Amino acid sequence: MKVLIIEDEKTLAYEMEAFLKKSFYLCDLAHNFAKGLEQLELNKYDFILIDLNLPDGDGLEILKNAKKSNPDAAYIIITARTNLKDRVNGLDLGADDYLAKPFYLLELQSRMQAIARRKFNIAEELIPIGKFNVDLQKRLIIFEQQQIELSRKEFDLLSYLLLHKNRVLTRVQLSEHIWGTFVNDDYDSNYIDAHIKNIRKKLNVWADTEWLETVRGVGYRIKK
Amino acid sequence: MKLSTKLTLFITGSKLAIVLLFVLALPFLIKQIASQYTNYTLNQQRQKVLDIVNKNGLDYYFQGEDNYGSYTMLKEEFIALLPVESNLKMDTIKDSQRLIESDTLNYRVLSYTFKNDNKNYLLEIGKTTASINQYNKPLQQFALFVLIILIVLTILIDLTFVRILVRPLAKIIGSRLTNRRFPFKDNQEQIQTSTTDFKYLDESLILLMSQINEAFYKERDFTSNASHELMTPISILQNKLENLLSNENLDEEISLAIIEMMKTVNRLKNITKSLLLISRIENEQYIRKEEIKPLLLFKEIIEEIDHRLEEKHIQISLNVSPDAVLKGVNKDLLFQLFFNLIHNAIKFNRDQGEIFISDKYLNNGAYEITITDTGVGIPKDDLVSIFDRFKKTNLQEDVGYGLGLAIVKSIAMYHQLQTSVQSEVGKGTTFTITFPKV
Repeated sequence: MKVLIIEDEKTLAYEMEAFLKKSFYLCDLAHNFAKGLEQLELNKYDFILIDLNLPDGDGLEILKNAKKSNPDAAYIIITARTNLKDRVNGLDLGADDYLAKPFYLLELQSRMQAIARRKFNIAEELIPIGKFNVDLQKRLIIFEQQQIELSRKEFDLLSYLLLHKNRVLTRVQLSEHIWGTFVNDDYDSNYIDAHIKNIRKKLNVWADTEWLETVRGVGYRIKK
Repeated sequence: MKLSTKLTLFITGSKLAIVLLFVLALPFLIKQIASQYTNYTLNQQRQKVLDIVNKNGLDYYFQGEDNYGSYTMLKEEFIALLPVESNLKMDTIKDSQRLIESDTLNYRVLSYTFKNDNKNYLLEIGKTTASINQYNKPLQQFALFVLIILIVLTILIDLTFVRILVRPLAKIIGSRLTNRRFPFKDNQEQIQTSTTDFKYLDESLILLMSQINEAFYKERDFTSNASHELMTPISILQNKLENLLSNENLDEEISLAIIEMMKTVNRLKNITKSLLLISRIENEQYIRKEEIKPLLLFKEIIEEIDHRLEEKHIQISLNVSPDAVLKGVNKDLLFQLFFNLIHNAIKFNRDQGEIFISDKYLNNGAYEITITDTGVGIPKDDLVSIFDRFKKTNLQEDVGYGLGLAIVKSIAMYHQLQTSVQSEVGKGTTFTITFPKV
């Protein structure tokens, strides 16, 4: 998958590139409005990440232009201006998603995965973990035809870990995903642990959950 | 008391006092005037007699006799002219009694001696005292009547004038001081008045309000700009740490250190986000058009926060009317407001404590929601400042209100809600949010 990152903050662009590279995305970088337009003329991309605040132009203009040259690409708007108007404008112009700075790269990647599933029609089968099967589309977890009831947040957590399987996710990354833009200044809470404990309790009734690992001091991981 | 009321009372009171004084003094005054006037007429009559005597000689009166006397029909006046010893000298007006045809009457008598043909004569002119005062009563009544009409007239004029005079002041109070909403409207129109004092007052108020606005805008812009500026470096730090952590060959010690750093960055991020939220609320970037049922809102919050209630074994009792509806609000913001309050109610509660959420309609149509906990409480000295940004109480070392209550306050202000807090150390705290009548 080819990704164009239009972001004037170079360090940030490099970090995004480094992270996405590990998941085998090919990244091009553009550090300003003009360079971004140029790259869009030259290449076709699957994903285009656009920072709205560029020194020489408005990212929304790029979005308008790019829609013509790269109509099949998926667009994610990235911005520090998180006001509603920008968000609505961006989505109206055909952006697929919207991320407010600062975000976790993990969150960026899972948004991209979600868009890819939706946009590129990647057929989704049941994903097996241990003796369970997870249907991400229908938001179900099944053990031998038996549906297991998880709360909304519990399922969100589980599917997020599953999307990033074999990677340790920290509590802050997980809670950011669960809370989204909601402001909660209670940073040291252990509610992620509470949710994981509940997930384990509900699943352990049916089968073991050794695949859901606690990595001491760091966070959680689904191992496969 | 309002200025116009005070002026009205004063004007009416002072006029009434004058009337009273006049009524008390009137009989004495009238009597005085009547007496003065009588003396004056007596003197006039004396002069007349003397003029006649000078012109026509004494014989004009005497007609051959050696004295002269005459009185009116009812004996109200008399005149007497008679020779006296040459060394007697008189020029007086006195009240005295006279016997006229076997009637003893009280007279005001003018006695005057004069020389004519080397002989001394005494002239006496008298007027009964009863006749002097005969006009006093009607005069008094008439004077009183005129006075009362005049007083009523002046009171009416005064009151009208006072009203016109203080009208600009009422306008100033109405438009600047009561029902004011913060932040104040910019470019307020000056109130038209020719009274320089009011003009000055109004100008000063407008100036003060615009200065307050300016300070508020400055702070708002600063918060907004600063938090935006901070977001980029926070982003970089956060993403760098994330990339570092995803390196698979890290030893445990280093990954734990990175986790600690991520937590700190996260904390920094949350503070910045909170400030941004406050500045966005103050910039009125949220739409207030939704309709919500508080009961459903609380159920949602409790579901969200359930694990924390379990963790501390806290009982929550929700006693909110299922029919209550809040209109013209922003659901996300109200969620945040009550989430923060309930969150605090858990955070500062004791293990196995309780939280009570209830609502009621007040007599004036306002709607009130109270959240009471059985927690540590807030000392009296801290109560005034808990809604301020970054205010920490000294209750427990590391526990602070942070920005949670500052967010509550800005959301409440944005929705024109009243917040109040009551607390008793060791017993608990009650937060009350009042929604104005729709």
